[in-house]
Amino acid sequence: MESSNLEESEILKLVSPWANNDNNIWLASSLELYRNIDKYLFPEKLDTERKKQVISLVSKAILSLDANQSPLLIAAEKISPFAKQFLVEHFLTDYNFQNAHVGDAFIINQTGQLLTTINLQNHLSLKTIDCLGELENSWNTLLKMEVAIGKSIPFAFSPKFGFLTSNPGLCGTGLVVTVFLQLSALIHLNKLDEILDKHVEESIAITGIQGNPEEIIGDVLAIKNNHTLGLSEENIIATVRALTTKLLTEENRARNEIRNLQHAHIKDLVSRAFGIFVHSYQIEPTEALNAISLIKLGIEMGWITGVNYLQLNQLFFNSRRSHLLSNFGKAIPQEEIPHKRAEFIHEAFKYCALKI
Amino acid sequence: MSEENIPERPLECSECKKPIAVIYTEIAKNNYVYTSMCADCPELQHRLHGLSQNEQTTSDTVTKTGVACGNCGTTLQAILVGTNLGCPNCYEVFKDLIVAELLKLQKISLRTANTKKNLPLHTGRFPGEITVFNPSAQLITLNEALSKTLKEEDYEQAALLRDQIKALTDKSSTKDKKVQNGEQ
Repeated sequence: MESSNLEESEILKLVSPWANNDNNIWLASSLELYRNIDKYLFPEKLDTERKKQVISLVSKAILSLDANQSPLLIAAEKISPFAKQFLVEHFLTDYNFQNAHVGDAFIINQTGQLLTTINLQNHLSLKTIDCLGELENSWNTLLKMEVAIGKSIPFAFSPKFGFLTSNPGLCGTGLVVTVFLQLSALIHLNKLDEILDKHVEESIAITGIQGNPEEIIGDVLAIKNNHTLGLSEENIIATVRALTTKLLTEENRARNEIRNLQHAHIKDLVSRAFGIFVHSYQIEPTEALNAISLIKLGIEMGWITGVNYLQLNQLFFNSRRSHLLSNFGKAIPQEEIPHKRAEFIHEAFKYCALKI
Repeated sequence: MSEENIPERPLECSECKKPIAVIYTEIAKNNYVYTSMCADCPELQHRLHGLSQNEQTTSDTVTKTGVACGNCGTTLQAILVGTNLGCPNCYEVFKDLIVAELLKLQKISLRTANTKKNLPLHTGRFPGEITVFNPSAQLITLNEALSKTLKEEDYEQAALLRDQIKALTDKSSTKDKKVQNGEQ
């Protein structure tokens, strides 16, 4: 897909941190911090002129930060829906950036790990993503930025409710920590519900990758804090980390069970996923993401060779619409996209073999 | 994305932004009209109990709906149907309602909601405060998981956890050495 301007081409260049992600279960994590400027109405009540003032204030503070390597301010109206969708996919966000219009803005930087949104529900949202599982380090990065910005912009804050956000469900710390885990063994052994009932507390929310608790795609669970008020930042991070550690342990236990018992129905699922990847003429994203998860499981069991976690994690992003189209360098008619996706996957699977 | 079978967002109440609990179907001759509503949607009460019930039960709500934020004009009725707040001042105007709504949506714990009225609910950091975390928090969690796994005599898992702990310890000791040597 050709980019129409500089901002858009910079967005489509974002590959890090996913280009080097060879994680098996812990797919990614993100921290998001919401802030608003004191004395200003929240964005939904602001007219365009005032929104532009907010952009100017926030961007001035952020663009001057040393920690933010080569930041680029992008007005929402300057980029196409395609580029906005690319940002949604890259930053694994469940917020629909298609709602961003005149008076809203994004700031990205060279690392591809930091996204600032301006005037999307809140004046400022700082989001980091990583695949190293270093929640505490990500928090330290966000904190440094927030403190530096806070020196020139007074944040809306009350001692009772903490940092004030337009959605009261995010006030307090204004911090949402999300860990994305690919729990294919627990899901396909039908053990997930039992495990979640055992370990999940009310302060944690579990959804699919797109924010819907009913729709788990690619066996990926987004585990995030449900409470932002009444807990300290340290508590929030520790709670999410404790649960993810438990889930990782349970997932590894389930994988050992599959390895030891060689479940026929899991072998069947993996073989079918392999068949879909090698032989499909058209493939939809949900189908692709579900198959990727099973193929990764197949690699761990030694049932599939010739492809690795790194390639499959890259495929996880490249199977999604905007990432897929960005690989072709030209516009593709809507009806041809499923076929192009299948072609793209065949290429990645050229040297792959099923050993079951 | 939506064209390709991945739903874009969770379905939401047509009146507010809460998840759908009820789909209300009106049938008039051959016309079917579907309205999606959340469990505590005022619109649902209105449809179920009609105007008379509404009039009976909401006499005080009518006066309540007159309440609005003097700074941004956000009304109590708007907040009841899940509309976002309009400005920082709304938190002062609607503080009791906000706590009740957060509790209803399970966005705060009962313990937090029961905090005395004049005490803060917020226990996190204040603006400008620096609370840098030690990455060793990860080690503490892993150590806890390790002791639990050992108790359950799952030695294979324990070995995996031990590897992770070792990797983290090695990494932090390398970092410490670098800091001592003046490297970044």
